[in-house]
Amino acid sequence: MNGYGIGAMSAIKAVEVKDLSKTYSSGVQAVDGLNLVVEKNTIYALLGPNGAGKTTTISILTTLASPSAGTAKVNGYDVVEDEKAVRGSIGVTFQEMVLDEALTGRQILMYHGRLYGLSSTECRRRSNELLPLVDLSDSADRKCRSYSGGMKRRLELARALVTVPNVLFLDEPTLGLDPNGRSRIWTYIKDLMQRTDLSVLLTTHYLDEAEQLADRVGIMDRGKLVAEGSPSELIEALGADTVTLRGEGSSRALIQRLRGLDEVQEVTAVDGGVLIGVSSSSRRIAEIVAAAGEVDFTIRDVSVTKPNLGGVFFKQTGHEMKNGENL
Amino acid sequence: MTLAIDSTATIWRKHMRKFLTNGEELFGTMIQPILWVVLFGVGMARTVVSAQTSGTGSYVGFMLPGIVALSAMGGAIGGGMTWLDERVRGILKEYLVAPIPRVSILLGTIGSTVSKAMIQAVVIFAVGALIGAESGGSVLGWITAIILAIGYSIGFSGLALAVASQTDDLMAYHAMIMLLNLPVLFLSNALYPLRSLPSWMRIGAMANPTSYLVDGIRQGVLRGQEGEFPLWLCLVVVGGFAIAGLLLATRAINSMTRRK
Repeated sequence: MNGYGIGAMSAIKAVEVKDLSKTYSSGVQAVDGLNLVVEKNTIYALLGPNGAGKTTTISILTTLASPSAGTAKVNGYDVVEDEKAVRGSIGVTFQEMVLDEALTGRQILMYHGRLYGLSSTECRRRSNELLPLVDLSDSADRKCRSYSGGMKRRLELARALVTVPNVLFLDEPTLGLDPNGRSRIWTYIKDLMQRTDLSVLLTTHYLDEAEQLADRVGIMDRGKLVAEGSPSELIEALGADTVTLRGEGSSRALIQRLRGLDEVQEVTAVDGGVLIGVSSSSRRIAEIVAAAGEVDFTIRDVSVTKPNLGGVFFKQTGHEMKNGENL
Repeated sequence: MTLAIDSTATIWRKHMRKFLTNGEELFGTMIQPILWVVLFGVGMARTVVSAQTSGTGSYVGFMLPGIVALSAMGGAIGGGMTWLDERVRGILKEYLVAPIPRVSILLGTIGSTVSKAMIQAVVIFAVGALIGAESGGSVLGWITAIILAIGYSIGFSGLALAVASQTDDLMAYHAMIMLLNLPVLFLSNALYPLRSLPSWMRIGAMANPTSYLVDGIRQGVLRGQEGEFPLWLCLVVVGGFAIAGLLLATRAINSMTRRK
């Protein structure tokens, strides 16, 4: 390649965003000083409530919108100065379905490839390769007007891959799909990651999706990243597990007693029992059960819930931490 | 440069394929002008004495150029619909994230719109010839007529694309374009000679580029039809209309493809 050698080459990030801001002409500030890195061959999930700036971020990275301030690079190419190189190395699926319904699935892949300058032969070869991968071989020559939502999404995924991109941008790739359709899309994405040299930046508001798919998760709120890490890091940082005790007896006495224990952070009464927020729940469970015995609370059911991204998300974007301190 | 040509061709081909494989659109836009020729033309021929039109030709021959204009409009309106549809569906975004120059979106769209308009125009010529418009004229006359038809198609395509950029609503687009449709045909010399019109209508007709297309075709290729304008003026006006249409469409499409 050039004189920089392997070290410099591998330092190129799939996506590198520095102090990125975007204010639309309407005055809405959609992105506000965003910093974000997607390493090569990883999946990064941007989570956030509606209006957090996820789609605007994708729009800037895919050269649809221009940044108001800051820089963004995709594959090492600047999205403003090198927009053509950026476009040539990415695949995109948009939040809404974007399909020419008058065309067949195969035609859509063919025209898309031709648009990127691939030869007809190459387009045909790639289509034949991708259609079975997204389970659309049988319906490839039907107009995609007749496709189900899940089939359309899979076709869009295949279309984004016809041109062999290095970075794939998926804006809400499973929006509007049933659970079965969603898990199939996940399977395809994971499968692809293993076969190809691909990095993925996806946005989603399904927490389980981020947890399942992503190597790294960034939580966005009001145009900024408010938390970032691997799903397990984020969850660990959240701390407390939740122990739910259900049974018969005085909840009030039980709560009084539990508040005296070390490591118990929070106790709240629920219908027929209590919720206990506690770190290292497995080591404390015996103490909790013993404490219940002391106040004559008869336990019928004990369950332990490990924290999940849902908890992180709520904590980061809910009312408590609106200003977005880092974890 | 080659990529610009390739991608323009790809977009053009895609639009044409959709047009030619969409039975309803093809049928709908073709059948209307054919009905005009067959029903209106033949019916009117009985009541309109050729002396009241012009020259010695038949009424079907007299009205045929107007129906060519109408067909070109039909094709252009279809092209505007494609553009509107691609915008609303977000297919435009697929083009915008592709490594193609913006100008090929513009050229591909204008190109396919003009092609549709011209295909329709040619079909109408053929239908007219079948049912008795006497065509004739010199090679030069035919070339002039074809240039006029291309120019008019470009002009009206530009207009349709500009109107289609004004709204996201297919119904609103149709309402706006229909508003143009009637005066374009009736406020011209397409169905009756200029000299038979009251002066206010004549002024309107003289401001309508359709009149010059119609007049030029009559002079160029239809036996027994006389012109009311000099041929050079027809070429100048229709050429000006084409350029104006192109500018309108370019402005409209460019504003849609610019980065936000």
